[in-house]
Amino acid sequence: MIDAAARLRRPPWLRIYLGITLLLFLAAAAFGLLFSPRDVTQGDLIRIMYAHVSVAWISFVAVGLTAVFGALYLWRGKRRDDVLAVASGEMGLFFASLTIIGGMTYSRPTLNTFWTWDAKLTLTAIMVALMVGYFIVRGLIDDPVRRGRVSAVVAIVAAASLPFNYLAAEWFRTLHPAKSVALDGSGVTMDGTMLAVLLFNTFVAGLIYLGFMLDRVRLGHVEAALEEERSLAATRQAPMGKEVVRV
Amino acid sequence: MNDLHAVLWIARKDLLQEARSKAVTVATVFFSAVTLGVLAFAFGENPLLMREGAMGALWVALAFAGVISAAQSWQADLEDGALEALLAWPVPRAAVYLGKLLANWGLMTALGFVLLPLAGGLYGADIGGGAATSAGAGGGGGETAPALVVAVLLGTIAAGTLGFALIAVFYAGLTANLRARESLLPVLMFPVVVPILLAAVRASNALVGSGDLDLAWAWLRLLVGFDLVYAVVCLVLFRFVVEA
Repeated sequence: MIDAAARLRRPPWLRIYLGITLLLFLAAAAFGLLFSPRDVTQGDLIRIMYAHVSVAWISFVAVGLTAVFGALYLWRGKRRDDVLAVASGEMGLFFASLTIIGGMTYSRPTLNTFWTWDAKLTLTAIMVALMVGYFIVRGLIDDPVRRGRVSAVVAIVAAASLPFNYLAAEWFRTLHPAKSVALDGSGVTMDGTMLAVLLFNTFVAGLIYLGFMLDRVRLGHVEAALEEERSLAATRQAPMGKEVVRV
Repeated sequence: MNDLHAVLWIARKDLLQEARSKAVTVATVFFSAVTLGVLAFAFGENPLLMREGAMGALWVALAFAGVISAAQSWQADLEDGALEALLAWPVPRAAVYLGKLLANWGLMTALGFVLLPLAGGLYGADIGGGAATSAGAGGGGGETAPALVVAVLLGTIAAGTLGFALIAVFYAGLTANLRARESLLPVLMFPVVVPILLAAVRASNALVGSGDLDLAWAWLRLLVGFDLVYAVVCLVLFRFVVEA
């Protein structure tokens, strides 16, 4: 019998890490909101960019890692890789949703609309749909091995589609005789201070991702152990000669 | 029997099954026709909008037809343990996938060729006329013969339906024995096929509207690139899809 209660308590090193990350997050927010320069055209609105772009980059990393862990699971078959894949997938979905909310918040005052078919925003919306599909499939399969395999396949196909989705969305409005103007606010050349603040925000977002991953993976291992224990108990209780139920 | 024979045999089996039961043909032809009709009603107020939306409507109809076709081809095999017998056969899993893919692709391409004049007629788009306009006016791609434009259009349909078939057959195999498979298949499939839909519609619009071969070719490159990459990805991953 595993002692779930004991294993669910956060270990001290994780608490310290999360505490430091929280402080760094407050520092990053302060830099973004208070100590960075205003933009020449957008004024204070540019400050949304620090939260939006940093979270967007990490969301793509998270979804990519979901596919990588999935591939590792297909290759090695270790439950630990599946736990990592789910954790990264949850983070990817969460950060992608934050990106969309940030994007909508950004486009309303700057472009006077809640949604633009900007390539990056479209790509993120598609990525949210892909990750939702990933979790729906996971929810429908009970056998952990098959679930891990099938969801790994879904994650790999989804991640492989992202470059094509980006190209298609990029050309969606521009590869046409009447060009449209794409405003994503970050610009090609950025003030040095702004770039530094953006990179710091991205670093902190990465630390947050890592912190959530560590916590979620810990929980995932407990979940896996509990699941195994329950299935063993069910097998022992099942009468002989019962037919195998396929999922 | 080598692998290529196995692929062709499986494709032939699926097509024969379809020829006898006509389940997929009936379902997809009528569903596509209904889709075109419904979209025509939705956008019918504005004739210009309808004409420009003709190819978009065509590809939406083809996308849904692809879902039906792929789902049906796997369901037919799940009955009476036919799929297990097929998987017990000592050929690579990829051969099973390729065979089903070829059969579905053939059916969808045929459907696309049938729907093209239908969409043109319903929506008031002159399929070969775009090229004639551009050739007559001396603009666009210069001298583009209408026959060439129509040929490239048919090629676009084949490339686009290949992309749909690749993803649809793959995901239909994955969801074949899951609950809620009918609603899950479009949910899984459509975000992945967005590039195909976009590229195919843009290429078709370029060809039908102005006979612009250069613009169409730009989109066709994306389409063909997608098809190639996904052919490899799906072939490699397929064996994890049908393992028990």
